[in-house]
Amino acid sequence: MIKIAQLSCGTEYSGVQSEIERAATTVGAKMVFPDVEAAEIERAVEEFGFRPTSPQLKLMIARTLAITEGHYDADAVFISSCFRCAEAALIRNELRRYVQEHSHLPVVTYSFTERTKAGQLLTRMEALVTIVERKELLARERQVGLTAGIDSGSSTTKAMIMRDNEIIGKFWHPTGEVIGSAQEALDKALAEAGVKQSDLEAIGVTGYGRYTIGKKLNCQLIQEELTTNSKGAVWLADRQKGEATIIDIGGMDNKAITVRDGIPDNFTMGGICAGASGRFLELTAKRLKVEITELGALADRGDARKVPMNSYCSIFGIQDLVTSLAAGQTIEDVAAAACQSVADQVYEQQLQEIDVRQPVIQVGGTSLISGLVKALGNVVGSKPIVPPNSQYIGSVGAALLSSGFLEGHR
Amino acid sequence: MKVFIVPPNSLILYDLVERYGHTPLSLMGAISKRVMNPEIESPPINVTPNDVKKGLKYAGIEVPSGIRGRLAVWGPLVDEAEAAIIMEDAPFEFGCVGCHRTDEMIRFLVKKRKIPLLEVRYPTNEDEAKVLVSKIKSFLEGLK
Amino acid sequence: MPKDTETRMIVIAPSSSVTPDQITRLIHTLSAEVTVKETCYGAMVEGERAEVAKTLEAVRKLDPNRIFSKVRGFPIGDARRCRAHHGSRPGFTQLEKEWECLSLIEKGVTCAEKGEAPPEIPRRQKITVEELKRIVEETG
Repeated sequence: MIKIAQLSCGTEYSGVQSEIERAATTVGAKMVFPDVEAAEIERAVEEFGFRPTSPQLKLMIARTLAITEGHYDADAVFISSCFRCAEAALIRNELRRYVQEHSHLPVVTYSFTERTKAGQLLTRMEALVTIVERKELLARERQVGLTAGIDSGSSTTKAMIMRDNEIIGKFWHPTGEVIGSAQEALDKALAEAGVKQSDLEAIGVTGYGRYTIGKKLNCQLIQEELTTNSKGAVWLADRQKGEATIIDIGGMDNKAITVRDGIPDNFTMGGICAGASGRFLELTAKRLKVEITELGALADRGDARKVPMNSYCSIFGIQDLVTSLAAGQTIEDVAAAACQSVADQVYEQQLQEIDVRQPVIQVGGTSLISGLVKALGNVVGSKPIVPPNSQYIGSVGAALLSSGFLEGHR
Repeated sequence: MKVFIVPPNSLILYDLVERYGHTPLSLMGAISKRVMNPEIESPPINVTPNDVKKGLKYAGIEVPSGIRGRLAVWGPLVDEAEAAIIMEDAPFEFGCVGCHRTDEMIRFLVKKRKIPLLEVRYPTNEDEAKVLVSKIKSFLEGLK
Repeated sequence: MPKDTETRMIVIAPSSSVTPDQITRLIHTLSAEVTVKETCYGAMVEGERAEVAKTLEAVRKLDPNRIFSKVRGFPIGDARRCRAHHGSRPGFTQLEKEWECLSLIEKGVTCAEKGEAPPEIPRRQKITVEELKRIVEETG
């Protein structure tokens, strides 16, 4: 049984504690709580050097030190506090860093409201358990042998063939029937690589359809996307060491993942507002009568500040853009304003729940829209890195990690 | 009379209020009612996300859920109180209170009620303890 | 469990010579309909509210000013608050601190019982600027 130490404030009074424990049980783990004595708390706070006024946060510090000093045995750490609490957010992030610097334990963090999403909790717990159980696999930085990775997403399916740390074939298309789409993507990627499916030494699968495909294709690795996307992004961007933030503004939902040495420790996922997604840009392109592939270059030449927008909504916001065109603004300025609006919304709705760490690696289909990359750079304070093949992170991660199963046989 | 105590889980205050003939309104009492209710299933303390919404009576939606949840438990105790004793500088107020912001808010809610209120300090020596008990005793006797 | 059930913590001040064992033995002899559990700081008693009150009254007589009590949120042995699974209960650290202070409180209770006036404690005042200046000059 994997023991996940819980360092938290507010979970019980927000009514989310039972959800946390349920998520842990679902992935075969259990939440544990380091036992500390009163005298130990003051010492720990002194030692740590940050003196919060809230007692529960002091207790969090003492429990953290009980773990890092080896007085308490745990396999992983879950750090959690109320969303919008400034004091707890500072402590949460500093404790996360402290655990990472003073132990080898995997950490995930989470800021919650009373409307905690069970799926998000489950993904975090699953990632923690994976990191504990597959530590050696995750340490892998080079792909070996001949392997394939399939990313079965809710909107697109991607396949990637890799040999000896090089990409030799790839393909993506919209997801239809899950297995059929995966098989077709794999076949096309195999054709580009000039190899047969029977030549593959391992297949890894991730994304929404991973269990169905994993069973059908007899995949060696079936993995949630938090882990595969992190590994894929740092491999593609050649940022295997240190901290980074991976931002994927999707057509339908967004992901922001923070990593340290390629291992994920927090993420947020959105998907309720089209104004914070690639869909907004698709609609803008349609109204401007340009191809979505041209929108980025147009935006690069424009100035977003010239276009007043009173709304970021995909209905009202786009209306603002159209109105400003009628008022004589250039198509470039409007394209730039559309990109800035999406970047601002990603910031408003998502990035506030995580600590953004530099560098920012932007991935996914929308990272090919240069205007959006520039706009996101304005928001996060430095231009994001867009690695080549950035829309393939999940499949690269799956191909890379699945090759870890080969080592023992060589 | 019903006397609200701060810290709401203090053994010293609970005991003294009872010892001098009044009914303490404490956190343990409030929690006990929740955990003994078999119809609520939100362990460990049976505060549900719905309770957190009830906390809106005391603080706005922009306030973190943990504060609203705490206020949903103690707010009604403050509403019910006929008098209150606040002990400053108590060394630890963990978990059961845990959040400094909530703690400040509770003190404010008590003061807003304009009920008889005694503010004392947690004692650090014998003389201070004598002052503390004496003040509490005469305050409580005065309520009769 | 009947509705009007109460769980009580009975806490012995460090200055008392009464032991937890004495308390539990006394409760057993009372033949009250309560459950009792000995703890490191005293005992926990659980049962119908009136029975618990009666028991507490008898226990206090062992050392009235050094035996303290408060209600407990969770029933005895409740898995939701078991220390083995959840670490020390959130309120436990406070209880540890308050327990240390009980010997002082006892002095206060005894003093109040005798009707003695509590000692005057001069409030700490900040020193004046002149005073500070004098000290700086003297030490400087």
